[in-house]
Amino acid sequence: MSVNLAKGINAFKEVIDAPIASFFSSCVHCGLCAEACLFYTETGDPQYTPIHKLEPLRRVWKQEYTLLGKLGKMLGLSKPVTDAELEEWKPLVYNSCTMCSRCAMACPVGNDMTYMIRKMREGMAASGHAPADLIGASTRSVEIGSPMGIRLPAVKAQMKHVQADTGIEIPLDVAGAEYLVLMSSMEIINFPEYLAAVAKIMKQAGKTWTLCSEAFEATNSGIQIGVSDIAKILVQRIVDGAEKLKVKTVISPECGHAYTALRWEGPNLVGRPYTFDVLHILEVLDGFRSAGLLKTTGFEDALLTFHDPCQLVRRGGVLEQPRNLLKMVAKNFVDTTDHGQMNWCCGGGGGVSAIEEAEPLRLQAFKKKKSQLEETGAKTLVTACANCRIVLEEGLEHYHMNIPVVGLTEMIADHLTEGE
Amino acid sequence: MKKTQKTEILPGTVGEGLAQRGVTRREFLQYCTSLAALLALPPAMASVMAEAISKARRQSVIWLSFQECTGCTESITRSHSPTLENLIFDMISLDYHHTLQAASGEAAEHARLQSMKDNEGKYLLIVDGSIPMGNPGYSVIAGISNHDMLVETAKGAAAIVAVGTCATYGGIPMADPNPTGAVSVSDIVKDKPIINVPGCPPIPVVMTGVLAHFLTFGGIPELDALGRPKSFYGETIHDRCYRRPFYDQGKFAETFDDEAARNGWCLFKLGCKGPVTHNACATTKWNDGTSFPIESGHGCIGCSEPKFWDAGPFYKALSMPVSATTAMLGASVAAGAAAGVAITWHNRSTKAAAKASHETVTVQDLAREEK
Repeated sequence: MSVNLAKGINAFKEVIDAPIASFFSSCVHCGLCAEACLFYTETGDPQYTPIHKLEPLRRVWKQEYTLLGKLGKMLGLSKPVTDAELEEWKPLVYNSCTMCSRCAMACPVGNDMTYMIRKMREGMAASGHAPADLIGASTRSVEIGSPMGIRLPAVKAQMKHVQADTGIEIPLDVAGAEYLVLMSSMEIINFPEYLAAVAKIMKQAGKTWTLCSEAFEATNSGIQIGVSDIAKILVQRIVDGAEKLKVKTVISPECGHAYTALRWEGPNLVGRPYTFDVLHILEVLDGFRSAGLLKTTGFEDALLTFHDPCQLVRRGGVLEQPRNLLKMVAKNFVDTTDHGQMNWCCGGGGGVSAIEEAEPLRLQAFKKKKSQLEETGAKTLVTACANCRIVLEEGLEHYHMNIPVVGLTEMIADHLTEGE
Repeated sequence: MKKTQKTEILPGTVGEGLAQRGVTRREFLQYCTSLAALLALPPAMASVMAEAISKARRQSVIWLSFQECTGCTESITRSHSPTLENLIFDMISLDYHHTLQAASGEAAEHARLQSMKDNEGKYLLIVDGSIPMGNPGYSVIAGISNHDMLVETAKGAAAIVAVGTCATYGGIPMADPNPTGAVSVSDIVKDKPIINVPGCPPIPVVMTGVLAHFLTFGGIPELDALGRPKSFYGETIHDRCYRRPFYDQGKFAETFDDEAARNGWCLFKLGCKGPVTHNACATTKWNDGTSFPIESGHGCIGCSEPKFWDAGPFYKALSMPVSATTAMLGASVAAGAAAGVAITWHNRSTKAAAKASHETVTVQDLAREEK
């Protein structure tokens, strides 16, 4: 039952679908994707050309699904994909791809490299070439309930702290609440401000909400490592929790991949449509804003800029909402040169931040973000993804840049009009 | 190798003839430069050509006319004396030509036989008109059938230049139902180099250009698959047409008197055969560079292509497919679709097999691989 090469090749054959076939056959080898990838621009190493990271998958496609490839394979002319080769590709498929999708925006023929990397990781994991750190995170997710090994008591402890700080009771397992609020491990451990912010905002908006003891964790290690069987288990927990409590909407926290995993991949993984909606917290807040349920006073003094999380802008379409919200609390705001859909990744998405051996490369790639920030001269960096936030904080610290990183939700919560 | 100063004039050469006629070397060099350009040769070749031509003995040429209309001769004589095209005529010794020679009757035939004897293996044979194979009596000169005269004269020729579409591809005499059984020169002569200079008629400067090439290099120019010199027939009328931008923009005249026609838009829809016709009309033009048919408002009829007379109506647009094409297209589509279905079926079964053999991956599996 253990993983091996045959299983990996089988997984490659299984994931290759019409989009992948058309992507590979329409690639014109122009190399524009390289210029769009921060791992290439910051290292100048051509092995980081996005489409090149997919080479073993391309060969399986050619050998198994094209007429010439089949003939070549029959005559023994083609080079089979080997374990050694996949091991060589491991750092390319995992360490140097944050699935940020910037290359897909640059591709003149519209190839979605992120889609393919996501699928390729299925074969990498099934053949035993997934990074040990991601295997660990996936194991903790399935066996403990969270990639960082957090159990319910830790969540309850945080709820208690927040209750004490804000004086607002944090609801747990309240059936019939309108919103089910999820968190990422990062928020439970590093950023308790998030839960406090949500509590304050929900109170002001007058909405009912709840946490769920079986489904508090939003992150999905199965998506990052590339094992749909594991991703399905993790999504199923949230579906079960949401349906048990009969909530109308599940709110994905300030986390990029948790949002795309739950909203876009989830229904396909569980094999049916949800009975509830999935929204990112920024979509909910912008909804409150336009409905007049979000009232703020005062403005931030410092010059602010915003880091668009890749999964939100490029794969989620959450583009205008953060700027609408920022306008409420920031008069002094500047966008980076490549912002919005062409924003540069923090360098730690798609599981990269969890891979320890990828750290030197990640810090090198961070130079892109660094120069972007320096150009703006911003004094505070706002974002809407806990993973981006921790990666940005680490990068800024490494390069001795004194720029605090703040989550947008908590910044909004800080300016809520008191009273009433 | 540099001979910039006066070239010595040898008696009995083209150079001598030119000098006698008061043509300066400068004029001659200018002529050779334009000729080199026409032949798509590098500019440096102009002086080489001048050298070669002025030193050349006048080339003996025998011109035979068979089933033709004399239009080719009319064309080549329209070399606008005193323009430089005339010079070419002075470079050759035209020993036999029905229309142009002074001699007649026995004397004329004697001139042909004498030239063949004197210049055995060196003379150039020019033929215009097709050769009737149905009945030798259809076209006879001095009691000799066209076929016999061609075979007899070709025997000692250095090379043959077939001018006009009749001599090159059968032309109008061969058009359906071909009552005389007309054939082209290349259908009869197989053992001599043949240069085809088609057109109904060919452009004068193209004919003289080919002769000049022969005189300069002593061989035949590079030919395309239909035996035509590539320097003149390498591109289509369409590719060089000044109305091409309208074609690219989809601006077409629908009738010969509509606004579009007056605006000079593309004549494709009115049956212009420019896209499939290889000739130099659009670049060299006619009547001393005045214009060419499309410039006068009429589509190209494709006269330099084989069987142009039978290639559908002159006023029917090219894109209308003929039945053979349709049948072939249908068969190709069917074959392509069948191959597509087969490949798709095979790919689907490959993918289905992969799905069927999927074993659920658990975290325990992943962990086991961890060393």
